[in-house]
Amino acid sequence: MTNYLVKRVLGALPVFFGITLIVFFLMNMAPATIADAAGGGEASSAAARAALEANLGLDKPVPVRYLLWLKALLSGELGLSYRTGQPVLGMIGQRVLPSLILTGTGVVAAVAIGIPLGVMAAWKPGGRWGKLAGGLTLLSFSAPGFFLCVLLIYFFSVRLGWLPAAGMYSAGGGGSLGDLLYHLLLPAGVVCLSNLGSLVRQTSSACGEVLGEDYIRTARAKGLPEGTVVWKHGFRTALLPVVTTVLNHIPHIIGGSLVVERIFGWPGMGSLLFTSVSSRDYTVIMGITVVIALTVLATGILMDIVYRLADPGVGWGGEGR
Amino acid sequence: MRKSHPALTAFWSDRRAAAAAIFLGVEILLVLLLPLFLDQAPNLTDRAAGFWAPPSAQHLLGTDDVGRDIFARLLHGGQISLLVGFASAGLGVVLGVPLGLLAGYKGGKWEYWIMRACDTFQSFPSIILVLAMVSLLGPSVWNIILVIGGLGWASVARLVYGNTLSAKKAEYVEASRALGAGDGAILFRTILPNVVAPVWAVLPLKVVRAILSESSLSFLGVGLRTPQASWGNLTQSAMELVTLTTRPWAWLPPGLCIVATALALLLVGEGLRKALNPRKRQ
Amino acid sequence: MKTQRKTRLAVLALAAALVGSLLLSSCGQQETQTGDQTQTQSGQAVNVNYGISNPWDSLMPYYSVSGSNYSRIIYDKIYDRLAYVQPDGTCLPRAASSWESAEEGYAIVFHLDEKAAFHDGTPVTAQHWVDTLTLITDPACQILGRGTFACLTGTDEEGAVQAGQKVGAEAVDEHTLKLTFKNPVVPEEFLVDKNRELYVLPTHLLTDIAPADLVTDDFWLSPVGSGPCKFVSEVSGSTLVLESNPDYQLGAPGFDTLTITVMDKSNLLTALISGDLDYYAFGGSITEENRAVAEQAGFTVQEGTVPSTFYELMLNNETLSSPQLRQAINAALDKDLLCQQSTGTLGTVTDSSILPGTDYAGPAAQSAYDPDKAKELLAQAGYDGQTYTLACTSQRASLAALIQQNLEAVGLKVEIETVDSATMFAGMNDGTYDMGVASHTPTSLPLWFTGARLTPQNNIFRVGDLSTYTTLINAIGQETNQTARIDLVDELEAYLKQQMPFVPLWFGDALHVQSNTVTGIDYPSSACCNENVWQWQKTV
Repeated sequence: MTNYLVKRVLGALPVFFGITLIVFFLMNMAPATIADAAGGGEASSAAARAALEANLGLDKPVPVRYLLWLKALLSGELGLSYRTGQPVLGMIGQRVLPSLILTGTGVVAAVAIGIPLGVMAAWKPGGRWGKLAGGLTLLSFSAPGFFLCVLLIYFFSVRLGWLPAAGMYSAGGGGSLGDLLYHLLLPAGVVCLSNLGSLVRQTSSACGEVLGEDYIRTARAKGLPEGTVVWKHGFRTALLPVVTTVLNHIPHIIGGSLVVERIFGWPGMGSLLFTSVSSRDYTVIMGITVVIALTVLATGILMDIVYRLADPGVGWGGEGR
Repeated sequence: MRKSHPALTAFWSDRRAAAAAIFLGVEILLVLLLPLFLDQAPNLTDRAAGFWAPPSAQHLLGTDDVGRDIFARLLHGGQISLLVGFASAGLGVVLGVPLGLLAGYKGGKWEYWIMRACDTFQSFPSIILVLAMVSLLGPSVWNIILVIGGLGWASVARLVYGNTLSAKKAEYVEASRALGAGDGAILFRTILPNVVAPVWAVLPLKVVRAILSESSLSFLGVGLRTPQASWGNLTQSAMELVTLTTRPWAWLPPGLCIVATALALLLVGEGLRKALNPRKRQ
Repeated sequence: MKTQRKTRLAVLALAAALVGSLLLSSCGQQETQTGDQTQTQSGQAVNVNYGISNPWDSLMPYYSVSGSNYSRIIYDKIYDRLAYVQPDGTCLPRAASSWESAEEGYAIVFHLDEKAAFHDGTPVTAQHWVDTLTLITDPACQILGRGTFACLTGTDEEGAVQAGQKVGAEAVDEHTLKLTFKNPVVPEEFLVDKNRELYVLPTHLLTDIAPADLVTDDFWLSPVGSGPCKFVSEVSGSTLVLESNPDYQLGAPGFDTLTITVMDKSNLLTALISGDLDYYAFGGSITEENRAVAEQAGFTVQEGTVPSTFYELMLNNETLSSPQLRQAINAALDKDLLCQQSTGTLGTVTDSSILPGTDYAGPAAQSAYDPDKAKELLAQAGYDGQTYTLACTSQRASLAALIQQNLEAVGLKVEIETVDSATMFAGMNDGTYDMGVASHTPTSLPLWFTGARLTPQNNIFRVGDLSTYTTLINAIGQETNQTARIDLVDELEAYLKQQMPFVPLWFGDALHVQSNTVTGIDYPSSACCNENVWQWQKTV
């Protein structure tokens, strides 16, 4: 297994550099550089724009710039943000925790609610829980994220005045846990709801398949209690696709939820990415790409391991040959 | 009369799924045909009615911030939203299923490169790709479909890959191999039907997801080419507080259209999944 | 059956746990709220929540990559400026208590406020201002927007100090600063134009930093200025916490901390109504549409005094090469309708970039909407049915759709490209787009718009022959006699109307939602990128 892991990590390296290469070139193919992004851009002189580009090294050919960036990366440097002049690592560091808190809470809540609901729905599709699962799935799949944010803010903040419409802490309220939870409720609720649907569906679909299998019928016929059949035999076998779905959400947790963070003024990675893209802050975009790519690759490896553990028949020789 | 496929019979005998499929069919017909009988253009300002006119006999859902007929835009927006939804989900599946099958069945180099491509695509912070592509190609319906569909294949491939890995070792595959079936036959006759059920369950969701993705893109300012309407960007008028509170006719109908379409698609998906699962059908 | 009940119990327990955690968090909410109230009562930690829709850049005020007002309004809090400028052109004392013209208009003498001090306690002297200007005009120093200082003697046209020369700034005595200029200037016009770009830096703390490394130095991660607020902490691009500077020379702000949060534009008014914000930039501006919503929620809405936005249709004079073609576009646009779509009743259509109500403004513009004339002009220009591209940002998509209809009504084919503003301006600069919709904050100066866009250094409209513009713009800059200057401005305006390098659309007035929790805010002046925070008082 160690052997497999080493091979798998080595195999991930070209993908990692492939990702950075593609993002770097795509980003640089988009029209406009940070010098044009200037809000007063049209009022600044062509010479000033050229000077800024030269200063940031944007006058060099793209391949040279990529190699320079790569060289810095290999020595552990993500460089300075074009927009703020601050170290990229520090800027991303500030954003990881808020994203983890927001999206992490949302996804964990979705898993906690979605998986039991999915199992219940597969077991008794017409029952009360099945109907609830259906309703929540529908809501989750049908409402655009921004629309959900707007409606929730309108009802809970404007109409009822129960929950705050923006921010992570009440300013001046000291960063207590209660205060954080209070601010977390609406945005994390949106994240939870938008992830809930796929989890419920995936779980109920996988469980539904399994519950139709012969050996479940046999178990039932043998007179095993219904709960044991559903949870022990059904759910366990259905675990694989469910775990896949959950793992698929991990990069999303790190990467943050762009729309939700933007609307709620949440200081996460998503809103940093949005700001950086619109101001053409290449160094920050590349920094975020590195972080997200590493997460995805790690998740991918994790998923393969899970597959192999769950299904011993597949063995450890499958990849990296 | 030709005998219809057993799966189809099973599908049509599921009353809810059948009703949902009929609803979708009627909806598609309505958004396609109704504009032909309506004398309102979706992109033309009615100066006499003015901006934000409330619903009237002439403008069933009033006019928008530029004085365009909202009902006409709702219909045209429906065409676009449904097109984006089906086309990009279709693109994702058309790319994802064969790749996932190959990776799972063939193993070795195939598995390695396809799964690496899968990783690469799933790792893209998609806004970067979308922004770069839209800047390069210009904002059009087909580019949006290309981007959403092109990013959607990876999750399908991964799903199919995972199921193929398990199915490959299953008894029934061994059995058909023992009976002397070739790779192609095993892949398409034996494995495909067994791994495709979850894809059917996912497909309608992908359609809904694509419709919503398009609306998120408009929110981020990289959506369709102005003045094209979609249900997503019509719903966006609710972002303005005054519209949200005083003009429900502007954002509620497109919102309801999205919800109803989503519901119908979910039911159809459910029905298809049951109908296509041979052991369940009996 | 038993296990079935157990499962049901388990699910119920889960639901109960969820409800419990909800309850807990809402209790937490009540705790913090009461906490806030007691703090207010005992006069501690009074916070003002300030919303802004776009992020600022570096906290180094001369390294704003975006060069946008979102950065300037932040620098305005931490650093001090010479004066406080109001939209009608009135200049009030700030770092300088008074000023006068000297050397026949070629110099301005500023008498600095002797009470001004940096946040580290060091008094601000005239030498600090001189050192600041010396530093930022040093070509080795990588600052942005240096062109602003090209008006000072000793600099080249990009604002860098020339070899062997000194920048035209002199400390006459400890609290007297003299700036000398290449062309004669009126002090108020200098302030209206440049005040928002000129901040005094704590140069005594920067002596160890090489000019070449200045802009990215760690100093700007927790900067020291002499403005009304002190830096506390920052999450770059998201949150900035400042505290009141109790020793500010014009008075201490009436709050303890100022928390500035970036959030989506659509959420600003909502957050103000729900009480999560006390104020948002700029000046709590609001559309006429949302006025009733704000008033219904118990807010007072104040009307602006002077137009705060100017809209124009940028044209690419290279692809739209003939003046007739550009005239045709002008005649085809129903500016009244466009203005109504964008501003409701708060706009005035215009045929010039000069702010109405100033000495330089011509007679009020009549709508030149004449589709028939536009068709005629198109025929004269030999329009061949080519499709032109119109670039706009997504917020202006509706407006662009209306412009497209106007132009197509006279037979001019237009395709809209909805892009972000960086792409739009880059595309106008390099000629990718043929038209673009943009808006700006006007000032009372006659050349505020044209003087920065019709020059060889910045020719965004891609005009082939700039010579007439250059001659007239230079002549206006050098003319000191007001009557003669008005004549020259009229001459420039006449030439602009004939050439139509861009189409002026309208001036829009602002509406300001007044804060229910902070008093003393001078809302309209926010448009000039300065806010009188030293007069703000949080009341609740």
